[in-house]
Amino acid sequence: MGEHDHDNPLGLYTRRAAMGTLAAAGLGFALFGPRGAREARDGKIVLDYWEKWTGHEGRAMQKVVDRFNATIGEQKGIRVRYLVTAGVDQKAMIAIAGGDPPDVIGMYNYNVPQFAETGAIRPLDEFGDLSPKQDQYAQGVWPILTHPDPKDNGRVRVWATPNTGGTICLYYNKDAFKAAGLDPERPPRTIAEFDDYSKRLDRFAGGGSGDIEHAGFLHTEPGWWSWIWGYHFGGNLYDAASEKATINADANVRAYEWLAATGAKYGAARAERFKSGFATAYSSPLNGFLDNKVAMVAQGPWLANVINEFKPGLNYGVAPIPVSEALYDPAKPVGLVETDVLVVPRDARHPEASMEFIRYTQTREIAEELATAHMKNTVLSHASDEFIAKHPNRGVAVFNAIANSPRGFICPRTRVWPQFKKGMDENMQFMWKGTVPVRAALDEVQSIVQGAVDRNAAARKRRLA
Amino acid sequence: MNIGAGMKSDALRGEKTSLAGWLWISPWIVGFLVFMLLPMAMSLYYSLTDYPMLEKPLWLGLDNYIRMMSDPDVIGAAGRTLLYAAISIPLSIFLALVIAAMLVSRVRFVGALQSMIFLPTLVPLAASGMVWLWLLNGQYGLINRVLGLFGIPGPNWLGDFAMGSLVLISLWGVGQMVVVFVAAMQEVPESLYEAAELDGMHSARKFWSITLPMISPVILFNVITLMIGAVQVFAVPFIIRSATPGGDLKRMEFYTMVMYDHAFVNGQMGYASAMAWVQLVVVLLLTAIMFAMSKRLVHYRG
Repeated sequence: MGEHDHDNPLGLYTRRAAMGTLAAAGLGFALFGPRGAREARDGKIVLDYWEKWTGHEGRAMQKVVDRFNATIGEQKGIRVRYLVTAGVDQKAMIAIAGGDPPDVIGMYNYNVPQFAETGAIRPLDEFGDLSPKQDQYAQGVWPILTHPDPKDNGRVRVWATPNTGGTICLYYNKDAFKAAGLDPERPPRTIAEFDDYSKRLDRFAGGGSGDIEHAGFLHTEPGWWSWIWGYHFGGNLYDAASEKATINADANVRAYEWLAATGAKYGAARAERFKSGFATAYSSPLNGFLDNKVAMVAQGPWLANVINEFKPGLNYGVAPIPVSEALYDPAKPVGLVETDVLVVPRDARHPEASMEFIRYTQTREIAEELATAHMKNTVLSHASDEFIAKHPNRGVAVFNAIANSPRGFICPRTRVWPQFKKGMDENMQFMWKGTVPVRAALDEVQSIVQGAVDRNAAARKRRLA
Repeated sequence: MNIGAGMKSDALRGEKTSLAGWLWISPWIVGFLVFMLLPMAMSLYYSLTDYPMLEKPLWLGLDNYIRMMSDPDVIGAAGRTLLYAAISIPLSIFLALVIAAMLVSRVRFVGALQSMIFLPTLVPLAASGMVWLWLLNGQYGLINRVLGLFGIPGPNWLGDFAMGSLVLISLWGVGQMVVVFVAAMQEVPESLYEAAELDGMHSARKFWSITLPMISPVILFNVITLMIGAVQVFAVPFIIRSATPGGDLKRMEFYTMVMYDHAFVNGQMGYASAMAWVQLVVVLLLTAIMFAMSKRLVHYRG
């Protein structure tokens, strides 16, 4: 061991130098290391656009982005990067809370109240000529884009633009109708007709006592919209003005008693056994409707994608979901209106550039191109003849009519909406199976949800104070 | 070399040694402080606030904890979680012990069998969730098909039998415990078994009176880790619930799932943080109870 080793028995100086070098490298990496560039080498502003779509939907949106980059983006020095983001609303929440959001986010329509009330997204009506205008959009779409701003005395402001839209209608199998002696061009209009058609389409093994072989209509297939049925009986779930949930209102009770009666007709265990044979993912040839197990199903326009891919020969029709007798009016069909939305988060670095891109997506040409590629209805106030003629969903006119109907409805506009949905999803099963009386189930959801609404109102007051 | 200078040099060397030690473990310390202690301290603070993430936290005191006491979702999910733990832990331990005992009793192809039993623990939870989803399918599932061959009508596993199905899935992952039990059983001194044979003990008695007491510390370790895992059960029921829309959601809702919903769906991070702290306290309490019970039931050699 030499002189140097005695003074440095552990090789400390060397290690210290190594640690120092490592620390400096780490610090340098943190400060100057690679990160999402916000400005390209050619001086263009780079916008990060988070979107949930993958597959063919993602490819269609990527085309829109590419075309923007090649045209308007080229002229105005903007380049959009399309970034597929699973769980986009949850990740957006975390990114915005962390102060490092993307520039544009493609979210779900029900996210708007939560993000708007918390100031997590920017009102789009502050962008002058770039702002969205009400007359651009279908009647049922506009309320999705607006929400009161609690920080501006409750003034209703515009927070989002629609990206694509979907209304919910009744698909029915025309061949199954013919086989049951029903007119395939005359789908059911009222609940009474619906029940009658459904009964005639049902087939059971062993003359009625055995397993279900073919069902007319099951509320639980696919069961994505457990909460809509009251609206088809003239009810609703929420009065936004008074901030009162109306879940256990009489119209809703009537609707879910009808649902419970349907469940009782099939028998919960028998229906569950029957349904367990369907694919868990709707995009499958084992989808109950595609597999001719269920004759009528409540679904959005996108189902045509699955039909065209797996069973292009399926002879289907589309009609508004039936309503109670008193509500029937062919000029004012009832149905759920949903859209995907584009928003600009707070702390977005280039909001004007973000709006340039968003406005581009709202032009008729782009909106209709995207809707066609996704097989969805239009979100615009008027669909072009070409859009209707070329659309691959043969029922697109019906979906458009719901979007433009004064009786098109949207989900309750409150940030506690997830609790509405959870309560209805869970209790729909109990009502369907008959394990809990309808009134008691709806009373329970009402109580839980109203508690959440009240807590939210109290929290808002505390924050404003 | 004078003595004073030598002592100074030793002290300096000691300090340098100590500094070097701290430097070498500093990545772990920094990681622990930044990614464990600080988030825990922040979540404790958030648990006392209304914190929707998108806005600043507002002080609530103990309101979140008080609300939990009467929240039917939380109470129901906690009950289901404890029930799941109460069923799955003893069954898992029992099954792992039986398999381990079979493996150490000189059966052929022990290595291959051990590998086969261990293999499922290497499968990612998300993948195993999807596989079980199909195995347990009421109409097309393999399990019901096999039962059908014997004329047994299989239940709708993911419906009325959801809890049983999840316990069944948990049993699929006992391989890791089996490996630990086999190692522990092989460490039991052969002389004890020889003495027992001289006393005329039969196999079952030897297992009960020698093997179990001798491996009891390992059993305790496995019970505690299983308990922690069971109280936090999340991935498999979450995947199955997500993949069965229209299914009976309540039956598959466990405590951590409700916590997740509050944090990332409802935007109530304060409430979710309170739930997390209650979960931690429950785990600590159950662990303490197990350690207290172990004084009578667990035998440490020496």
